[in-house]
Amino acid sequence: MAVDLPPPIPAVSAALTETEVKVTSGFQGADIVIYGAVFDPAQRPSDVVVLVSGPEQPIRLAEKTRVAGVWLNSRPVVFTGAPGFYIAASTKPLNQIASFSVLRELNAGLDHLAIAAPEEQRVERRYGVRDMVVSRLGADYLDWRRAVIRLKEKAGLYAAEPDGVRFVDRGLFRAQLALPTAAPIGRYEARIILFQDGRPVSIRDRTLTVEKAGLERNLYLFAHRRPWIYGLASVAIALLAGWAASVVFRRS
Amino acid sequence: MDLYLPIAEVSVNAPLLVALGALVGFISGLFGIGGGFLMTPVLVFLGIPPVVAVASEANHVAASSVSSVIAYSRKRAVDFRMGGVLATGGVIGAFLGVEVFRLLRLLGQADLVVSVSYLLFLGVIGGLMLMESLRSILRRRRGEAPAAPRDRRPMWLYGLPLKVRFPKSRLYISVIPPIVLGIFVGVLSAIMGVGGGFILVPAMVYLLRMPAGVVVGTSLFQIIITTSLTSVLQAGRNQTVDIVLATLLLVGGVVGAQFGARMSARFRAEELRALLGLLVLLVGLRMGLDLFIRPDDPFVLVSGAG
Repeated sequence: MAVDLPPPIPAVSAALTETEVKVTSGFQGADIVIYGAVFDPAQRPSDVVVLVSGPEQPIRLAEKTRVAGVWLNSRPVVFTGAPGFYIAASTKPLNQIASFSVLRELNAGLDHLAIAAPEEQRVERRYGVRDMVVSRLGADYLDWRRAVIRLKEKAGLYAAEPDGVRFVDRGLFRAQLALPTAAPIGRYEARIILFQDGRPVSIRDRTLTVEKAGLERNLYLFAHRRPWIYGLASVAIALLAGWAASVVFRRS
Repeated sequence: MDLYLPIAEVSVNAPLLVALGALVGFISGLFGIGGGFLMTPVLVFLGIPPVVAVASEANHVAASSVSSVIAYSRKRAVDFRMGGVLATGGVIGAFLGVEVFRLLRLLGQADLVVSVSYLLFLGVIGGLMLMESLRSILRRRRGEAPAAPRDRRPMWLYGLPLKVRFPKSRLYISVIPPIVLGIFVGVLSAIMGVGGGFILVPAMVYLLRMPAGVVVGTSLFQIIITTSLTSVLQAGRNQTVDIVLATLLLVGGVVGAQFGARMSARFRAEELRALLGLLVLLVGLRMGLDLFIRPDDPFVLVSGAG
């Protein structure tokens, strides 16, 4: 009596231990902990990739060029699509998990972020092909793009962690990712992808907010909602402090 | 003890900033300069975004200047009338400078102009001050009579209209040169993020020929007015004043300024000028060095989106 069961569908499930990161005056960075499980009765070899990206921040990049012995900035190029924070964590290096085209399609990994310089692009007809997107930066375009990633990595805002996701038990995985103090405030997306045989078979999306809290938040709101009063208040503090010090020192 | 700054959005070491504030405050009280030309590069080096560093530093300079001006005014060493005229020019210049800086940022050339300004103005002024003051120190060491005071002030100071009497400085000159000087300093201070004392002090000594005794206090008085205005403008228009950062700096700054103002009485004027000249020259050369050294990375992130 054979029952025709549908083939088991592998699925991934995940959760963040905390969905809100509060930035207060003592903020020293935070750890984002992601737990999850892979459901696959067939127990095929699985790989998990966790992509955490912060709010988008346009980037202005210039190239240093030497003119008459002096290093000058070139005209700045604006890149869009770059998240303010990005970590790609996985159970093994991404290029061992899936092919270039699969990763490119998913925008998975530092090499596959959808960063572009739209102001430098124009659409034209080339080699008889219509609507070709051509960048004014020409062949150097890749150097520029790589520089964006490199500078962000140096600032600790972009990272690739090829062993950042670990299986702690059968089907149960855990990823612990560091959020530095320089990480931007805003809404973060965490995308958890299950790969089997080089194909993404299941995807889960989770969100995380990083926001200021307590005194930090009040000061920030004060500075942005009542900027002129804030300015006057800060000058008043400065002038009073200067006056107070001179009074104290006169007595002593 | 690290502290997260609400506007700068970075974490800083609080005791370090208080100590830095005190050190720069001391220098400010000693030489009668704001100290912004020292502090702004240091803050940027510590990872604070340049726009926030420039705006918050103006607040710190205002505080330490008040602290030392009160000390100087007790010694009757402030020419408030001259300071007021200079500040009038400074206010006009600050408005102009903010616009110029915005334009430069859009062109992506703000870094270059800042580096060149530091190299040019700090280098030249520091060098000239150092040479002049060393010469007079040497002359005194050799027991020679001080160089005949060139009391003949440049004729153009007297040929211009709108003459005003400045009793404290024993001057009767047109207000045009001090106003133009004030505008010039105002523009530079907006671009370089400094109070402009390092230009005002030598300009008052060598161009306006004010008595050395009132130069320092008067320079500080004009700095208070321009930096207070800059601070309010930056907060109101750009929301870039970090009140926590400014407070950390000024706690140290106001105390340091008091010690500086006391110490200044123990030095001779030319010795002070020699030290200040050396300091100004070194900072200028350091900032300008970046123009000639091959950068670590050929690419650089430029501030100011849009």
